[in-house]
Amino acid sequence: MVPAVILLTILFPWTGALLVSITGDSRPRLQHFLAVLFSAVSGAFAIVLLLNTLPVWEGIVPAWVATDPYFSIPLGGAFGNVSFMADGLGVYLAAIAAVIGSLAILFSVDYMRGEKQLGRYYAYILLFIGAMTGLVLTTNMLFLFFFWEITALCSYVLISFNNDDPKAVAGGIKALIVTQLGGVGLLLGALLAYTVLGTYEIGVFIEKAPLAIPAFGLSIAAFGFLVAAAAKSAQFPFQTWLPDAMEAPTPVSALIHAATMVNAGVYLLARFFPAFEGVPGWKEAVIAVGVITALLAAFMALVATDLKRVLAYSTVSQLGYMVYGIGAGGIFASQVHLLSHSVFKALLFLGAGAVIHSIATRDMREMGGLGKKMPFTQIAFIIGALALAGIPPLNGFWSKELVLESGLVDGPRTAYYLMLFGAGLTAVYTFRMVAMVFFGKPRSEQHGHDAGLAMKISLGLLALGACATWLFTGRFGALLAGTLPLHSIHFLGVKELALELFTAKATYLALAVVALGLLIGWQRERLTGLVSLLRIPAGWARDSFGFEWINRRISAAVRGSAGGLSHTQTGQLNWNIAGILLGLVILLILMALGS
Amino acid sequence: MILDPLILVTAGVCLLAGVGLYGLLASRNLIKLIVAMQILTKAAVLALVAAGAASGRINLSQSLAITVIVVDTVVAAVGLALGVQVRKRFGSLDAANLASLRR
Repeated sequence: MVPAVILLTILFPWTGALLVSITGDSRPRLQHFLAVLFSAVSGAFAIVLLLNTLPVWEGIVPAWVATDPYFSIPLGGAFGNVSFMADGLGVYLAAIAAVIGSLAILFSVDYMRGEKQLGRYYAYILLFIGAMTGLVLTTNMLFLFFFWEITALCSYVLISFNNDDPKAVAGGIKALIVTQLGGVGLLLGALLAYTVLGTYEIGVFIEKAPLAIPAFGLSIAAFGFLVAAAAKSAQFPFQTWLPDAMEAPTPVSALIHAATMVNAGVYLLARFFPAFEGVPGWKEAVIAVGVITALLAAFMALVATDLKRVLAYSTVSQLGYMVYGIGAGGIFASQVHLLSHSVFKALLFLGAGAVIHSIATRDMREMGGLGKKMPFTQIAFIIGALALAGIPPLNGFWSKELVLESGLVDGPRTAYYLMLFGAGLTAVYTFRMVAMVFFGKPRSEQHGHDAGLAMKISLGLLALGACATWLFTGRFGALLAGTLPLHSIHFLGVKELALELFTAKATYLALAVVALGLLIGWQRERLTGLVSLLRIPAGWARDSFGFEWINRRISAAVRGSAGGLSHTQTGQLNWNIAGILLGLVILLILMALGS
Repeated sequence: MILDPLILVTAGVCLLAGVGLYGLLASRNLIKLIVAMQILTKAAVLALVAAGAASGRINLSQSLAITVIVVDTVVAAVGLALGVQVRKRFGSLDAANLASLRR
């Protein structure tokens, strides 16, 4: 049964994508219906898979259900087998992708009503959901790479969805190029593993790599994977693509650029952690990437004025927390934070989508006082914001404390204090965002209206999730520990978790920092002296600390060298033939020297 | 002096490949280029058959040779069709005209 459910979870959205495309844009109602239906069914399958995985591993299910959680379809070629496995990491991320995917599609029914080319929109979202579930469930490194690139392609197409807007097109291309660069690292690692071990199986790699692969080769793979993960999860120094990806329609930002695809990098690091743990300098590098990203992005969120960009910087910053957690060895903590973040950030993005849909601007300076016009959206958004700031009892509090605690126990002290500071910054920018959007006096003429029914359903379900997902922490930990023997996972049930957190001094320290952050956010108008003191660093943050400049220089250099090299292309057939011949001669000489 | 057939065939392959490559290098007429490419491909077919005979896997090499012949015919047909278009648009068969495709 498990193989069938895995295949259905992946193939159902893909079938939906095909059907939505075939339906054609002249029947938008049918397209809305098909997209919601197929994504919801896929979400249901993902939940069935999630619920059945632990019993299957423990062998306590009826005989007709009990099968091996692993299965493979032989291809008989150099690609290895198409193999899938249902284990804790995989099924749980697949469930996030499929469930939040279906909620984002449901939200789109209101958000995208009346838009043209819905076929393209829904087809790529469904293709993305299938690829994301495939990415986390496959155990073949080469297919992991294929799924990885399919998600990058979908992200590119959906960012550039409004393809008559040059900013959208540029943002899409930037995202594509940066994530492709990272993909090279992943491919390099996979090929290296194949040359040494003769298989693409992830399980074999994790088990044998630390001993079988020479130290130099293993560190190439380890840092290659770190580059891949950093590019995909918008970590330092690749963080610049995510804010530009905000040109996408808001449900796409919620699904791909907050809840799922950007988690793929964190997933990759968590999945391969046991293999690379022993590589000298790797864990320190992961911690450094996480800390730098979390702080830089938090500063940039503090000064941004575009609502979606604030959320994007905050996503980058929270992903930094997850990466930091993994570097400190807290796989469990980072995965719990991943779940919390997916839920509350999807909620925040969809809430922002409702606001943007209602008043047709993304600039927070033109908002204000929207709470009276859209009370439902306001409540949902504030729940998400409190979870982001880490206020108990919402899920963000539990998971952030878990991450900080694992950092305190196993990571360097400096990194811990920096991350604590980051938690305070999170509270400040969250408060600023909520205050600018929903409170105060309206700063421009707006005719806001509250969210539609489909929007309300998705927002309501996600708000419920933000209040409740921490209750499943214990069961999720048991699932991880039961299915990932090599990751040495220490997990806590809800009761022990509560007991431990509320008796630890560190928790109160973190809460005090968060409270201080909220206080600063609240009183920011009175702190004008401090603000003017910080004007220069704020300017740096607005210029994204020079990373945009570096990006522009790199792309200008590439263009320049391409222009220079184009002179070698004469377009004359005879010269081309001469070039081929020369290459052949060089190859023959090399072969003769080699033998 | 008795020549080994393999050496003879290898010499033939080299001769055909040399003629083909020379044609591709020296000629600018599209028809001549296609003819030269045909000769070069025939060298490859001959080499395939000879390799099969030498290694004893003649079935494999013959089926490969047939495949190459089929593909080669298609290439020639498409090449000639392109030649007709080039003649129509540029008024001559000179391959140097095609350098304008660079931009």
